[in-house]
Amino acid sequence: MEKRLIKKEALAGIAKKMAEEFLVWAPVKKEDNVLFEPLQKDGEPYLAYLNSKNAPKNVFFPHTETLMKYTRTEKGMAFSSEENKAAESVLFGVRPCDAHSFALLDMLFDQDKYKDAYYIAKRLNTTVISMACVKPPYASCFCTSVDGEPVSSEGADVLLTDIGSDYLVEFITAKGEKLTRYFGDTKADAAADTRKEEIAAKAKEAIQSKIPAHEVKPILDVNFDNPFWNTIHSKCLACGTCTYMCPTCHCFDISDEVKGADGVRIRSWDSCMFPLFTKETSGHNPRTSQKERWRQRAMHKFKYYVDNFNAIACVGCGRCVMSCPVNIDIRKIVEDISKL
Amino acid sequence: MENIETKLREEAKRLLLEKKVDVIIGYEKGTLPLTATPCFVTTPEEADNLVWNHLCTQNPVKFVHDLITQHKNAQKRVKPEDRKKKVIGVVARGCATRSLIIQLQERQYERADVYIIGVPCEGYVDGKALKSAIGGVDITEGSIDGDQIKMKTSDGDKAVALKDVLAASCRTCRFNNPIISDTMVGSPAAAMNPDAEYNEVKEFEGKTVEERWAYYSKEMEKCIRCNACRQACPSCYCPTCFAEQSQPQWVGIGEDKTDTQVFQLMRLYHMVGRCVDCGSCVAVCPMGVDLRKFLKKIDKDGWELFGNRAGSSMDDMPPLGKYDEHHDKEDFVFNP
Repeated sequence: MEKRLIKKEALAGIAKKMAEEFLVWAPVKKEDNVLFEPLQKDGEPYLAYLNSKNAPKNVFFPHTETLMKYTRTEKGMAFSSEENKAAESVLFGVRPCDAHSFALLDMLFDQDKYKDAYYIAKRLNTTVISMACVKPPYASCFCTSVDGEPVSSEGADVLLTDIGSDYLVEFITAKGEKLTRYFGDTKADAAADTRKEEIAAKAKEAIQSKIPAHEVKPILDVNFDNPFWNTIHSKCLACGTCTYMCPTCHCFDISDEVKGADGVRIRSWDSCMFPLFTKETSGHNPRTSQKERWRQRAMHKFKYYVDNFNAIACVGCGRCVMSCPVNIDIRKIVEDISKL
Repeated sequence: MENIETKLREEAKRLLLEKKVDVIIGYEKGTLPLTATPCFVTTPEEADNLVWNHLCTQNPVKFVHDLITQHKNAQKRVKPEDRKKKVIGVVARGCATRSLIIQLQERQYERADVYIIGVPCEGYVDGKALKSAIGGVDITEGSIDGDQIKMKTSDGDKAVALKDVLAASCRTCRFNNPIISDTMVGSPAAAMNPDAEYNEVKEFEGKTVEERWAYYSKEMEKCIRCNACRQACPSCYCPTCFAEQSQPQWVGIGEDKTDTQVFQLMRLYHMVGRCVDCGSCVAVCPMGVDLRKFLKKIDKDGWELFGNRAGSSMDDMPPLGKYDEHHDKEDFVFNP
């Protein structure tokens, strides 16, 4: 594996240099929010962040995307498939938890049974550059409980680790190695590796919040009807904040928007927290209340995804914990389930 | 505040023991530092979880409507002679009582369906303002000590003045004491600063139409259509929101800029005479959209054009809910 060292102050410049040649998604500060957005010509990446407000999943799985277009003509419907646009791009500076989420989303969108052409095209053409978490994390970070680590290369093509005065740049995949030319020519020595290992161990220790994420699977297997499910949902507002902030939530809705003779078929994010999510055409709703919706969310993350892909669909970023308007804390829910 | 909390718990226990209420909607300590969260107390033991402090943010009246509607629907399946009454207790400050008045004026339930435990209020902390005041660093511990908020953060110990991080709605609140109640806990709170109520709106009104539209567009671009604002609002209780109707479909469900603008515009217009400036929509918004600027403008118009302040009295019906053709000051409506 190719490894380089770059001076810390050079990093923003590298992102900007890349942005001259292709699309670079980078953390950008907008008022009080840090968001992943295409880096503009005169834009500055905001690298002093703990994590972004929203998960960068929108790079591969946009909030709204057009699947096809159609026009009603005298000869019938004329369809045109939307060009599956995916320009060469770089996702710059994501946290390891979010990079981990891409590995999890791949299991779903790029599996043997189904292949999601829209997701895959973007994923193939995007190089993910992760930035390890070496600063004190959020108190609500719990990546180490869900198979993650603050210094981890999972889901990343390039991993950057702050080892003091320099960044250690590790080119993890062949896709990542194509970007070596941007990172100078100082080869990393063994000392840098040792330093990184020390930092990684310390960063792992700094994650204080822990949940029994693996322990709950067998409990969830046999507790679909447990009265416990009556206890968590009453204050839930049924908004979509947790699912829209979540790096691994991936449910979507497909709808047609028609204006005159022209129509577009779009896919947009949906949320299991919305009553409308499961409402059927007849008017019947199999998930009658927020109780069933919350059970679904917990089950999907800690049981169904494990059943289907042998992986927990949570990366421990804590966004849902921090953003939930009524402080429904997934950590407490998992903790409580483990005691059932 | 401590004293109010003790009294509140005693009162809650009494009401539950005397079976005056079936449930009390209040606040308990949250799992994150410096947070309180809505809770539902059904036993005297649970009453000890109740808190009342500057961290109690959300308007609990949204849940009053939810619980009553759920109960009514459940009772429809019960024989009339077996139907049970359910009384919802609610810990309510000024703005919450205004929301109760709105729902009562709109005949959502009977006055006897709710038992109002009135509490004085000196404002709640705007979590986003607090975070901003300490440079966005992570709070690991925190407490309110008199007029100071003291915190341990990822960047060392910090302190900010409580008054500097109170929600905008609270700073200029006119009704920080309950307007209606069945029982009062604590003595009335000192007045906030209502004279400055419309300062921000006036400044905004002074801008050109282009500037105002640019501001509206900018704010709406932040919106991710999670619906938290609508879901937290006690005045947004429609069984099916227009945003979710499909025949006709009023607004698209995607991220299209105009759909977001239209969704929020229509919600704003549905708030005429019905927004009590509790600030819940702003507090719950994950993206920090400034909805209040526009809601406050509507509130100002309601006051200046119709002499109405939403939910300020049981007798003063919302302007759009009390049209009276015989006493309308404009004669053209029925006598062209």
